[in-house]
Amino acid sequence: MKMTPAMKKAQENMAPGIIIAEGFLGEENKSIKDMMVRDESEMSKAGLTFDKVGERLSYLMEEGRKGLGEPVTVDKKWLVRVIDPRGKLPCPFEDGIFRKLSAEIELKSSGEKILVTDLSIHLLKQHHFIEGEGSRFRMEPEIIKRVLFA
Amino acid sequence: MVPDINPVVLLFASVFTSNILLANFLGMCSFISISKDMKSANGLGLAVTVVLTLTAMLNWVILQYVLIPLDLLYLRYIIFIIVIAATVQILEMVIDRVSPALYISLGIFLPLITVNCAILGVALFMQIRNYSFIQTVVFAFGSGLGWWLAIMALAAIQKKLVKAPVPAGLSGPGITLITIGFMAMAFIGFSGMLNVQ
Amino acid sequence: MDYLTAPIVVAIIAGVLAAAISIVDKIVNNYGEVNISINKGKKILTLNGGDTLLSSLASKEIFIPSACGGRGSCGACKCQVISDVGAYLPTEIPYLDKEEMGKNIRLSCQVKVKSDIDILIPEDLFNVKKFNSRVISIRDVTHDIKELVFDLQGEEITFQAGRYVQLVVPPYDKIKGTTQRAYSMSSKPGDKNVIEVLIRLVPGGIATTWVHTHLKEGMEVELIGPFGDFERSETDAAMVCVAGGSGMAPFKSILYDMFENGDIDREVWYFFGARTTKDVLYLKEMMDLDAKWENFHFIPALSEPEEGSGWTGETGMITDVLDNYLKTKIDTDKAREGYLCGSPGMIAACNKVMTANNIPLDKIYYDNFA
Repeated sequence: MKMTPAMKKAQENMAPGIIIAEGFLGEENKSIKDMMVRDESEMSKAGLTFDKVGERLSYLMEEGRKGLGEPVTVDKKWLVRVIDPRGKLPCPFEDGIFRKLSAEIELKSSGEKILVTDLSIHLLKQHHFIEGEGSRFRMEPEIIKRVLFA
Repeated sequence: MVPDINPVVLLFASVFTSNILLANFLGMCSFISISKDMKSANGLGLAVTVVLTLTAMLNWVILQYVLIPLDLLYLRYIIFIIVIAATVQILEMVIDRVSPALYISLGIFLPLITVNCAILGVALFMQIRNYSFIQTVVFAFGSGLGWWLAIMALAAIQKKLVKAPVPAGLSGPGITLITIGFMAMAFIGFSGMLNVQ
Repeated sequence: MDYLTAPIVVAIIAGVLAAAISIVDKIVNNYGEVNISINKGKKILTLNGGDTLLSSLASKEIFIPSACGGRGSCGACKCQVISDVGAYLPTEIPYLDKEEMGKNIRLSCQVKVKSDIDILIPEDLFNVKKFNSRVISIRDVTHDIKELVFDLQGEEITFQAGRYVQLVVPPYDKIKGTTQRAYSMSSKPGDKNVIEVLIRLVPGGIATTWVHTHLKEGMEVELIGPFGDFERSETDAAMVCVAGGSGMAPFKSILYDMFENGDIDREVWYFFGARTTKDVLYLKEMMDLDAKWENFHFIPALSEPEEGSGWTGETGMITDVLDNYLKTKIDTDKAREGYLCGSPGMIAACNKVMTANNIPLDKIYYDNFA
C-alpha cells in the first residue's frame, strides 16, 4: 500500500535502535499502514474506539501518578502503578516528546495486566497505532477490552 | 633547459597572474569546503603554503637525482604522492610536539592536504617547466601564497554573502562556484603582465 | 635486470620515508616516563607520556566521568591542573567559563601528559573502580523487589553511605547492546568486600527485567562505582528521611552506618511509604533498629492496607503522613533536614510538603536514583 513520506519516516523511526532499542514494530515486517488498517478493524471488532480507549488510559495514568511510584487502586477495579524511569522519548511520527512514564494497569478481579506508556497512549490516540505484534507495549484490542472495559 | 625567469618575477607571477587556484583550478575541493569562515581558511592557507614549499623541494631533489638519472620519469606521480603523504605525516607529529596550539588550530586540515591536488600540481609543473631548485622553491612558495590569498578572499566574500540572500536553488556550492568564477575572471586581468609558462 | 629498477626505487624511497617517519615518531613522541601527582602527592602515578590525561588516568584505573569517551564533545571530564600544561586549547574553551579558567580547570581528554603534572580531583574518584563481581545471593524482599549481594572477589570498595554503583547489563534476548543502570548501595561502608543493592522490577524495563529473570547466583557481573553525592550532612539537624520501594537502599546503608559507628545522638525520622504489608521491605529489621536506637523513629505508612492484615501503623499517602508529623510530632524549633529517595514525582511532592513546613529547599537532599 502507498505510504506518505511522513509515514515512511515514522516507519524508519520505529525500527529497533532508532528511538528505542527494541523498536515499535515487534516481530512484524509489514508496513505500518497495513498494520494500522488491520488493527483498526480489530478494534472495531472488539467494539472499541480509539478515542474511548485513549480517554480511559489517560484517566488511569493520571490517577496512577498520585501513587508517587507505589501502586494505587482506582475505582476499586484497577491497580495502577506508574513508574517514572526519567528521560524522554520523541514520538516516531515526530510530533512531540513524551516522558518515559509507564503504567502497569491490572484488573483486580482477573489479575490480567496491560502495560502502557505516555508515548503509547499518544500513538493510540493521535495516530491509531497500537504497535506491532510481539512488541512489549502492543495494546492487543481483545486484551484492552477485557482489562479496561470489564 | 632551465627557463630564464627571475625568481622575483616568478614569485609574483605564481601569486597573481598564474594563481594555482584561479588560473589552474587546482585544489578546489578543500577550497570550496573550508571557505566558510576566515579562521579555518587562514589555518588551511598557512598549512598549504608550508606543505607545498617543503614537498616541492623534496620532490625536486628526488626528481633530479633519482628519477631523471634512472630514466624513471613515469614513476613521478606515485613517488610525488608518497613523498607528500610522508611529509604531511612528519610535519603533523613535529607540530604536535612543538606547538600544540597550532596543531589544534590546523586540526583536520593538515592530513587533508595530502589529497590536495594543488600540491601535486605544483610538483608536476616544476618538472614540466624544468625549474631550477631556486625557481622551484619560489614557485611553490608563491603558489602557496596565491592559494592562501584566494581562499581568504573567498571566505571574506562568503561572509558578506550571508547578508545578501541568494535564491534557494543557488545557495551553497552553487553560488560558491559562481563566486569563484567571478574571482577567476578578475584574476585573468593580471594575465599577460608577466609570462612564466 | 632493468625491469627491477623501478620497483626497487619505489621500495627504497618508500622505505626511507617510512624510516624517517618512525625515527621522527620515536624522537618527537617520546616523552619518557612522567609522573602524575594527584591531590598534592596523595597518589603518584608513573607512566609513559604522550597520551591524554583522561586515558592516562584510566589506564591506572582512575575514572574521570566522561560521557563522550574522550572525543571532546561532552565537556564532562573537567579536572583541575595545578602545574603548567600550556595554554588553553581551542577545543577546550567552549566548555569552560571564566571562573573555571581562573582555577585552571582543563578538559582532561584534551590535555596531553607530556611532562610531570600535578592535578586535583574529587577524592571520591580515587575510589571509583570497575569490579568483576560475583552474585552470591539473590533474595526476594517483597514480591517485586530483589536484594542482590555481589562479592567483589578480593577487591575492596570504599564509599560514603548513600552512594550508588552502575550495573553493567550484558546483551540478552532482543537487547543488542550493553546497558548501564545506577543503583544505590544498601550495604554498609564497613563491609568493603561486598556490595548489596535493591532492585525493583520495572515492567518493560531492560535492566530490571534482566536482573529479575536472567541473573542467577554465581554469575559474574561488572559493577562500576561508587558515584554520587547523596550522603548525610555533618550537622546535628534532625534528619527527616522519606522513601518508598527500593528507595530503601541508601537509607538502609546510612542508618546502619550511623548506628554501628555510634553516631546515635542525632534525631532521625524515617518515613517509608508502601501500598500493602506485602510491599514493605525490612519491616522487622527497621522495627528492631527503632527499638534499639532511642533517637531513631521508623514510620512505615500504608496507602491501602489489606483488610484483616492487623496493620496498626500509619495509613494514607506518605506525603500526608509526613505533613502531619512535620506539623505535630517532629520538634519544629530544632533545625531539620530532608533526605529523599524515589521517583521524580515523589521527590517533587515531598519537596512541596517539606518547604511548606519550613525546611528550606537547599536543606533537602535527594538522589534521583532508586
